[in-house]
Amino acid sequence: MNSLRRWETLLFVLLLAVVSLNATESRYYLGVGNFINLFQLSIEKSIVALMMAFVIIGAEIDLSVASVMGLAACVMAYTFQQGAPLPLAILLALAAGVLAGLNNAFWIAYVGLPSLAVTLAGLIGYRGLARILVEDRAIGGFPLWFNALGQQGLIGPLTLSIMIFVILFVFFAVLLHASAFGRLVYVVGSNVEAARYSGVRVARVKTALFAGSACVSALAGVLYAARLGSVRGDMAEGFELDVITTVLLGGVSIFGGKGNMVGVGLSLLLILNLRNGMGLADITGNTQNYVIGGLLILSVLVPNIYQDIQNKWKGRER
Amino acid sequence: MSKLLMGVAAAALLTLLPQVATADDGMATPGKDVSMVLLPKFLGILPFDQAHKGAEEAAQELKNPAKLQFLGPTPQNSVAGQIEIVTNATTQGVKAILLSNNSGDQIVPAAKAAQAKGIKVVTWDSPIPSSEGEDVFVAQVDFGDIGKVMADMTLNLTGPEGGEFAILSASPDAANQNAWIAAMKVALKDAKYAKLKLDDIVYGNDESEKSYTQAQALLDKYPKIKVIMAPTSVGIVAAAKALQDEKLCDKVKISGLGLPSEMLAYTKNGCAPEFALWSFVDLGYLAYTTAYQLATGTLEAKEGAKFKAGRMGEFTITKDPTRAKGLRVLMGPFTIYNKDNVEAAAK
Repeated sequence: MNSLRRWETLLFVLLLAVVSLNATESRYYLGVGNFINLFQLSIEKSIVALMMAFVIIGAEIDLSVASVMGLAACVMAYTFQQGAPLPLAILLALAAGVLAGLNNAFWIAYVGLPSLAVTLAGLIGYRGLARILVEDRAIGGFPLWFNALGQQGLIGPLTLSIMIFVILFVFFAVLLHASAFGRLVYVVGSNVEAARYSGVRVARVKTALFAGSACVSALAGVLYAARLGSVRGDMAEGFELDVITTVLLGGVSIFGGKGNMVGVGLSLLLILNLRNGMGLADITGNTQNYVIGGLLILSVLVPNIYQDIQNKWKGRER
Repeated sequence: MSKLLMGVAAAALLTLLPQVATADDGMATPGKDVSMVLLPKFLGILPFDQAHKGAEEAAQELKNPAKLQFLGPTPQNSVAGQIEIVTNATTQGVKAILLSNNSGDQIVPAAKAAQAKGIKVVTWDSPIPSSEGEDVFVAQVDFGDIGKVMADMTLNLTGPEGGEFAILSASPDAANQNAWIAAMKVALKDAKYAKLKLDDIVYGNDESEKSYTQAQALLDKYPKIKVIMAPTSVGIVAAAKALQDEKLCDKVKISGLGLPSEMLAYTKNGCAPEFALWSFVDLGYLAYTTAYQLATGTLEAKEGAKFKAGRMGEFTITKDPTRAKGLRVLMGPFTIYNKDNVEAAAK
């Protein structure tokens, strides 16, 4: 617990450093408009990252999130184009997400296949389905209210997506840290055998994780469609890696059982501010990826090195 | 009057005289501080670097003190990356964004937000399909002409007896390639091309590896194929390499749009005897000049507006006949490359 708290402190210090660097380097950084953009440009990934934290703490992984986002957006666009009213199309999109999640959960929780393999298949399969639905077209022309929801502030400058993110953040933080379900996720993630022997219904917990993950991803896919105003088969392609990066940088252990929402929140803020600062400093593309990749390696290295040093120190004392 | 003399005179008078240039006279006023972003589909391929070179040339001639920012996403992150760059440029309050659009209409909300802040959005190479959020599109050549040239080159390569061919394009939503393919389909209706049969259209996403495997797949799937037409500089090289690796160059030919320096070897060994292109340097130059004039108010984005673009002469803004709405500046012309002229152009 002590080392965890240290990790969050480190993230916080890094965040402060990035924020002050941005503020001194760019005169465009401090401003309501820019902060809204900073969140808006990656808001869908941020929403998905919250649920991904649960999955990884539960010692699983969901690689299919970005494909589920794409699938949901394509289901919505396709059914809308076929004449369904948009609210119905959105419900169908969310339903498609839940089905995709239940499909993942069935193979993982009840058949016992590793989530890496199952959700990798999902990554390919759901994307394929999305592409079959919209083929090589772009579907747009949604009602104005839908595009406005994705692009304009709903309360002041705050967009619907940002508000959903904040609400989900609070909800998930409570769920993870102050509910029975949250404790079960930690138990399953730390030691699944022990959990099973002490009567935890592991399969149910895992089903909830994957259904939840896909449902949140589907919602994010619909929000993404609203923000861009049109839908293509390749929507959100590759987002899963950014999402997992954020969660790991937040101090969630890839081996499960460790991590918390504060860390994920700080990691999100750190990456968003870093990207925004680099963007305003006209640093784009590969250089941005390089910096964030380096940060991820550091996030794995630093705690290990710290542990090493601590062990050596103890050895010397003995 | 010589252009040189005019340039010198304008530069000399600029500091001495009050502003005499009136709006819409089509002459650029050099020396204005106009910050611009040149945004290609993605970074790392030669045509966009050439366009950058042309834009820098125009920037020097116009004595713009603001540095031109050449920013682009990675190919894997093209859509989200382009939106992010347009949004950040809007925050920075640049005067103009020069966009080769790879995001279809998904770029529209970001481009509209830029326009709402008074930023001129000039597309080049690839337009915004709906033209919303765009001031004007600087087109390389007439998209209808490209279709005809593609049909002609195909017929040249199959010979008068005709035969089967396929198209290897860039990404499925690349507005330019889609418009050219549509134009080619129209051209093919002419009785002259009756013996040509289009088997398939596949997409390599302008990634070398994917284009290479797509070309291989075409060769496997259609054993009677005679020509692969690739209207993208990435696809044409990848397809030519696939053909060479499969040792099929005596049976199947590659053609399309490519850069002489990248196609030299394949044109000389007979895999790609004939292909076409325009100058990306000129395209960058013209796009920059157009955006500079729009941003400084010497040109208005409306039908019929005329302007002088430095060494390239006079241009007129017209309606874009290839889209439902939208304005266009047409550059042209085409160059067809073969073994006689490819070597000189590759230098």
